[in-house]
Amino acid sequence: MTHALLEVKHLDKHFGGLHVLKDINITVQEGEIVGILGPNGAGKTTLFNLLTGFIPADEGQVLLRGKSLREMRSNAIVGLGVARTFQLCRPFVGLTVLENVLVGSLGPRVKTDDIGARAMHLLDQVGLAGKAHTASELLSYGDLRRLEIARALATDPELLLLDEPFAGLGSSEIEALSELIRKLHREQKLTILLIEHKLREFMQLVSRVVAIDFGEVIAEGAPADIVNNPRVIEAYIGRQNPLEQTQHA
Amino acid sequence: MEILIYGAVTSAIYALLAVGFTLIFGVARILNLAHGSFYALGAYGTYVLTSIAGLPLWTAALVSIGFVAVFGVVVEKVLIRPLRHSQLGVLMISLAVALVVEQTLFLVFGSEYRNVPSFVDTKINLGGVDVAGQRLLTLAVAAVAIGALYLFIQFTRLGSAILAISQDPEAAKYMGIPSDKIFSLVMAISAALAALAGVMAGPFLSVQPSMHLLPIVKAFAIVVVGGLGSIPGSIAAAFLLGYAETCVAYLISSSWTEIVSVLATLLMLVFRPAGIFGKRAAF
Amino acid sequence: MKAFRGLDQFSVTGGLAALAVLGFLPTLFPGKYLIGVLTVAAIYGIWSVSWDFMSGLTGRENFGHSLFIGVGAYTAGFLNVQFGWGPWWSLPASMVIAALFGLVLGFPTLRLRGPYFALAMLSAAVIMQRLMLIFWEFTGGEEGIQDITPLIKDPLHYYWFVLALLGGITWFLAWMARSRWGLILRAIRGDEATCLAAGLPITTYKIASLIISAAFAGLGGALYAHYQLQVSPQLFAVVTSITIITMVYVGGMGTIFGPVGGALLLTLMTEGLRNFGEWRLMIYSLLLIFILFFLPNGIVAPTWNRLRHLFSQERP
Repeated sequence: MTHALLEVKHLDKHFGGLHVLKDINITVQEGEIVGILGPNGAGKTTLFNLLTGFIPADEGQVLLRGKSLREMRSNAIVGLGVARTFQLCRPFVGLTVLENVLVGSLGPRVKTDDIGARAMHLLDQVGLAGKAHTASELLSYGDLRRLEIARALATDPELLLLDEPFAGLGSSEIEALSELIRKLHREQKLTILLIEHKLREFMQLVSRVVAIDFGEVIAEGAPADIVNNPRVIEAYIGRQNPLEQTQHA
Repeated sequence: MEILIYGAVTSAIYALLAVGFTLIFGVARILNLAHGSFYALGAYGTYVLTSIAGLPLWTAALVSIGFVAVFGVVVEKVLIRPLRHSQLGVLMISLAVALVVEQTLFLVFGSEYRNVPSFVDTKINLGGVDVAGQRLLTLAVAAVAIGALYLFIQFTRLGSAILAISQDPEAAKYMGIPSDKIFSLVMAISAALAALAGVMAGPFLSVQPSMHLLPIVKAFAIVVVGGLGSIPGSIAAAFLLGYAETCVAYLISSSWTEIVSVLATLLMLVFRPAGIFGKRAAF
Repeated sequence: MKAFRGLDQFSVTGGLAALAVLGFLPTLFPGKYLIGVLTVAAIYGIWSVSWDFMSGLTGRENFGHSLFIGVGAYTAGFLNVQFGWGPWWSLPASMVIAALFGLVLGFPTLRLRGPYFALAMLSAAVIMQRLMLIFWEFTGGEEGIQDITPLIKDPLHYYWFVLALLGGITWFLAWMARSRWGLILRAIRGDEATCLAAGLPITTYKIASLIISAAFAGLGGALYAHYQLQVSPQLFAVVTSITIITMVYVGGMGTIFGPVGGALLLTLMTEGLRNFGEWRLMIYSLLLIFILFFLPNGIVAPTWNRLRHLFSQERP
């Protein structure tokens, strides 16, 4: 029996008295694009932090192709092929766009000799080639998101975790970014796990949605089903309708 | 028995120093390397006011402490606040201030040890041990000062404001708490505590221009052990360190006391960086 | 395409030219005094460059650099006087011992965020100074170790030797800074969490760069010991660390070559201030405050870069 690419089993996490993640079970097969939906505070970023080794789990397992990621340091997990972006874009201050991607290329999985050419190629793919030598602090928000993705790709991942990639973008930028993600998924054969709290953004992008609220999985299925799921709708009452357009930040 | 008493006295002085140091860090995120200078200025101020200005001891002490508090507020406002965005900047400037103070003291007073008069000259016999009254007074004064601080923070509005800022500076600002004024107040308290330590300990500890260095080292060690930003942690750690040093001094030799603080710091950083009571983990 | 800039032509030629000029100065103005000042300036240059490589690039400020200097110097003193070894052994030995200290001190402190590293280094230097005084039977106390044998008897030749070392070390560290090592260190300064997310073992890099920094500082300490022919606890003083940091500030943080200029400028300035005697340190500290407020990018590096622009524009 072949393992799924990523298996999360009974993952549990407390922050002091706060039970942030309760018995989370998620399976991701190779090649899928899975969306994690949930209102703010549901625990989505915490989940990512646990998956990538930034925080230790209290209980449960995270398996990458059957291999446990528990107790591994975050940079070692990257070495196994898991890359992530952050909700708040953090470029390396003081480094150019190209240098940012170069740093991502210095990890253990990249074997090419000419990382400079490879980095330029990545920038080209995300549409930032023209800004290679610009200081990264000067980028617009949309470009920063692309830089984040280029940098994550630079580590040569199999599994890409995107944390709210569309937050703060206008609708045309969202379209463009969605298209980019789809293209990368096709061409690089990536498996993608995507967090958003607005369903509209990724309805056409993902093949499956896992809905989370208050640290628990409340529903799982195709996007069309999730939208009509009563528990999901209930989770959003009092918060914005998940089908609404993203607002500008 | 000696260890019990002298350990307590040492711990009391350390507590005064550490609480002030951790207070200004917890509230304003400022690591003030000039903290030792407040200690030094307290001692020298008392010396100057009594021997040159001829003021009575109590007055000299109070004026000295007051002056140091004001000095601390001025330094914070003028020199430290503009550089608050850079932690290196704050460290550098506070260290530069400490050096300027040290050099000033050196130029004015020279490097010989000075004599700060004691408040109490008599020796008291406690449990069979002759202890200088001054040391016991130090212990008492420190306890009163820290106790007063505790009451102030717990039971006054201003105290709650201080707690609020140390927990969440942004939120506190939104609630209309004037953080700048609070910083100044906290700095004044911090400096005053350090100066008080200098005034009380001056009579029996060395008073010379470079006396500001060791208090900083000790304060840092205590704060690491107790937890940066935690007042009860600092007090507990002050006692731990004070007694550890006293024990080492009596049982092994007084040369080794310095190593205690180094070892404590390094060990703590390796095994439990948040300190005993640390709220903010260092990771 | 080349991923890393490497050392550009202007810097290399300019640097060699500057070295040549410095080397020839004593022949133009003969006299032991100038040679002495320049030798000390060169040693400060080594100390400043080594500090800049770690702290200037990563932004993790080392407030106890004097510890590595003192350790290197005392190693030289011990080996030479107490154990009677030939003076040339001091050089590798000081590097090794200082590097060890770097490892021991760096390991617990560099894993952590926040001010722990800076303060721990400061404390360590202060404590070392006290230890030298406390264990005076072994270390000679206040007076330290005397009668160290010089490496090279002729002051001019020794100066050239030190200058050559300065040139070599600066070249090496500047090259490192412009290689992938330097890129990683600068990225660490930018954002450590993101570095981890890029798969880099940042603590390893931080500790490694501290060890390198410490080794060269120790080497400088040994060179100083064989120049002054004595070592004392004063070497561990906070003032030494602050002086070096000031030199780096004046030179330009993170540029590697800038601090050399900073060291030169400030050493010459200090000599000029000799007449002020006891006021020297005071002026130094006030100068530091001034620079922190008004010249955070330093003087040397920005000027050099401006020159470089001029030259590259003139090329057809």
